[in-house]
Amino acid sequence: MKKISTVCPYCGCGCGLYVHVEKDIITGVSPVRNHPVNKGSLCVKGWNCFEFVQHPGRLKYPLIKKDGVFKKSSWDEALDWTAENLLKVKEKFGPDSIGMLSSAKCTNEENFLMMKFSRAVVGTNNIDHCARLCHSSTVGGLAKAFGSGAMTNSIDEIDSSRVLFVIGSNTTEQHPMIGMHMLDAVDRGATLIVADPRKTQIAEFAKIHLRHRCGTDVALLNGMMNVIINEGLVDLDFVRRRTENFDDFEKIVMRYPLDIAEKITGVPAVDIRRVARIYATEKRSMLFYSMGITQHITGVDNVRSCANLVMLTAHIGLPMTGLNPLRGQNNVQGACDMGALPDVYSGYQKVTDKKARKKFESAWGAKLPSVPGRTLTEMFDAAGGEIRAMYIMGENPVISDPDASHVTEAIKKLDFLVVQDIFMSDTAELASVVLPAVTFAEKDGTFTNTERRVQKLKKAIRPVCGAMPDWRIISELSKRMGYEMEYGATHEIMEEAALLTPSYGGILHHRLNNFGLQWPCPGIDHSGTTFMHRKAFTKGMGSFIPIDFVPPAEPVDGDYPFILTTGRISFHYHTGTMCRRTSTLEREEPDCFVEINPADAESLGIKTHDRLSVSSRRGEIVVNASVTDRTPEGIVFIPFHFREAAVNLITNPALDPTAKIPEYKVCAVNIAPVVPKPDEEGKFFSRRENR
Amino acid sequence: MKDEFVLSKTNLPYWLRQLRKKADLIGPLRSLNGDIIFSSIVNIHEMILDCPASIPSPKEFLFPQKEEMYKFSQKGVNTLNDNGKRIIFGVRSCDISAIALLDRFYGGLLEDDFYMSRRRNTCFISIACNNPDPTCFCSGLGTGPALKTGFDLQFTDLGDRYLVQAGSREGLRMINGFMHLFLLPEKADRDDQYEVLLSSQSIFEKRITLENVRQKILAGKVPDSFWESVASRCFECGGCVYECPLCTCFNVIDWKEKDNKGTRMRLWDTCMFKGFTKMAGNVLPAGKKIMRTKRWYFHKLLYYPEQFGRFGCVGCGRCTITCPGRIDIATIANKLD
Repeated sequence: MKKISTVCPYCGCGCGLYVHVEKDIITGVSPVRNHPVNKGSLCVKGWNCFEFVQHPGRLKYPLIKKDGVFKKSSWDEALDWTAENLLKVKEKFGPDSIGMLSSAKCTNEENFLMMKFSRAVVGTNNIDHCARLCHSSTVGGLAKAFGSGAMTNSIDEIDSSRVLFVIGSNTTEQHPMIGMHMLDAVDRGATLIVADPRKTQIAEFAKIHLRHRCGTDVALLNGMMNVIINEGLVDLDFVRRRTENFDDFEKIVMRYPLDIAEKITGVPAVDIRRVARIYATEKRSMLFYSMGITQHITGVDNVRSCANLVMLTAHIGLPMTGLNPLRGQNNVQGACDMGALPDVYSGYQKVTDKKARKKFESAWGAKLPSVPGRTLTEMFDAAGGEIRAMYIMGENPVISDPDASHVTEAIKKLDFLVVQDIFMSDTAELASVVLPAVTFAEKDGTFTNTERRVQKLKKAIRPVCGAMPDWRIISELSKRMGYEMEYGATHEIMEEAALLTPSYGGILHHRLNNFGLQWPCPGIDHSGTTFMHRKAFTKGMGSFIPIDFVPPAEPVDGDYPFILTTGRISFHYHTGTMCRRTSTLEREEPDCFVEINPADAESLGIKTHDRLSVSSRRGEIVVNASVTDRTPEGIVFIPFHFREAAVNLITNPALDPTAKIPEYKVCAVNIAPVVPKPDEEGKFFSRRENR
Repeated sequence: MKDEFVLSKTNLPYWLRQLRKKADLIGPLRSLNGDIIFSSIVNIHEMILDCPASIPSPKEFLFPQKEEMYKFSQKGVNTLNDNGKRIIFGVRSCDISAIALLDRFYGGLLEDDFYMSRRRNTCFISIACNNPDPTCFCSGLGTGPALKTGFDLQFTDLGDRYLVQAGSREGLRMINGFMHLFLLPEKADRDDQYEVLLSSQSIFEKRITLENVRQKILAGKVPDSFWESVASRCFECGGCVYECPLCTCFNVIDWKEKDNKGTRMRLWDTCMFKGFTKMAGNVLPAGKKIMRTKRWYFHKLLYYPEQFGRFGCVGCGRCTITCPGRIDIATIANKLD
């Protein structure tokens, strides 16, 4: 019996766990007791994260689609064929006709290689990943305000903070171990304020719960800042010494007195005032946000409003004092840091910056493109036109992207699609070639969690027969396309990344043994950074950015009278590739549901378990009703994990103008009970299809 | 049967090395992270004996989180009993007390073949706890820090030597054949042992008597509003059950492969999940968190004493370490007592 210390593959908390191995079979997991994030605890997904690893459904050999049917192939054949086809597309239509999707589930090393493959081998900046759909607004929004888009504090500072302002994050369900620290802080006397239309578990512990209307975050935050300015709670010294552009910003905020903020958000003025006073007057205040802020057409605006609030009250640059976006995927922070984005190299060095480009060109010995590439959402829009081939690593856009039928149609228009995954996902079904990759337990590398902690992943078992680590697949493919990538092991890739990435300069595998290092870590003698923007912002002066309220793209009307908002539930993770192959998780929540308020349910004559049709301008899904007051009147909630009722068939693909993030959190829908119809044999009940 | 010996610390590695020739030797190691983990011992001198509690409990060696039970194909069914011999060294008294109860559960009226086959091949060498954690409360339950009966071999650390007590035939068998390594104890050894136990008792930070809590619940003095507040903090992670050395829930699943082959296996399960008692038509008899929280506590505090005459808790403190909502048995008992 061996126990290998590694990192959980689910969310951005980055909990430490041991994988128990006996005779190359995983027999269980247990939490790391000394880990600064989870301290001996795990959530239900963490406790069960081993089951899918040796699942019989794992892809065990490459598949090539010929005449519409997948055929088993050897690695050599599949790689040769892939390289040949990618080269063909590149020659015929140019390098920018190829799009790459990297993965927030893969390691930093793999993302770095994918980025190198895209830029140096294929020669395009068309590389993106699912951060586009979760925190692209944070990356862009905070870069402009502070110069760096990541959590400013560390998770184990939460216990000692005095005020926690959580906006748009269902923390106990989505980041359970951060939720644990928050409850600890509340037990120690901290004041918790939650702003969320839904009554989530964390909201039950809040001193004040603001249930603002979906998509009115800017108005709420501007209202708060209006109070802070009017009541003289602004930290003038900080504003003068550390920030710029206050005057323009103030003019806009003055347009949001409490009565207007109340009218837009639906939150009583007295509550907005109380929250503003509590937040502004306590120094150890941490602000947390997540998808509730970012997944709007005003995602960037929302993020910047949070940044404005933090700067106005000088709540940044100290321990237990800062602005904390909670990143979703285990390595979404790392995938962004490693430059799996269309406009930046690793460490957010711009592709348009001549100096940075030259550095990468000389390191890689290749001419690199200078124009930013297409984002994920734009690649699908251009599929079949300017995008002819795609290479998708460890993502499942057919379920995760908005208006999913549009994505499916787009993929079908491609000349060539490579999908690299651990299971046959819905996206892989559409591929020209499927390459079997390995899970977290079968490879080495590093993950960067939401608090910028770069942690080492350790191989616990041999890869299941026939599968290969993603970084090896990329280097093999690269070799076949005429560019040698010689790496003996993942630490060599990290060494190269550290060399080229200032914030990762001192992050080398041999330094990561004791729970890793938090970037920025510029050199080999640097011990990492637990809290950011000390003494000065990354970009020097922090920028106030005036933000006006813009309503959501799709207002409710007579035909579509309900607001639909989407999200996750604690037992599942994203499109379910891993968790829905985990028996305990699947048993707990096997079916999709729609949460609806009792008052709405009564007026429509709906009971829990009734089948409901939820339709929008883009499509319709049928789900079970769950009548609960967690969701307020006029709003319904559907989790997006379930392929058989994929809510992203009906979500709105309207994008934030700069970050290109879709508005998952608000769209207009109609709800109607489904009247059971007899089947052809006249029966009302038929056996459910076996999944 | 109780025989006592003295083993010099100098002789310990040699003795363990001899035992290891016939079995997998598992003991507490300090991982790179500073945690204590039980795993196969490569370098005997690396074992840490005055260590904090390990996570998870040693039940994982008798009842692993995932255990393959049968391989099946059209030709028939192949039972996969684990017959590997194991010696687990350095287990705490609380865990030994728990295993005694597990034996009664899995070896009672209905014998569980998979558990018993592992159990028959596993010997436990326990250590009288001289370094209880702040989370421990075995002393109030009589399940530690040292045991009078119920162990195979119990070691007490006397500084330069161990006092070794054999409590079973299996225990004696491990010593027989190596008698040249052991001495017979003298009065000074027994005096030293008593002092170790006394000083260990003084380290405990928690004084918890579950009997008071049981009486309160039985007398109806704990209102539902209390359990409601407990349940509201539950994260539904299952950690309390997964880590409890006494919890025995499991679920059985089949993994079907191509060619009509497959594997049946069992996985740890927990009664804290609503799906644990799910019935046909998606009926959830314990759909609300409060029902499940109450059931777990009542099982530990009321039903166990009825069934086995002991509490379903040995005071190991693991739920205190692992529960993210801080609604572990020690916290709740403190609130109720």
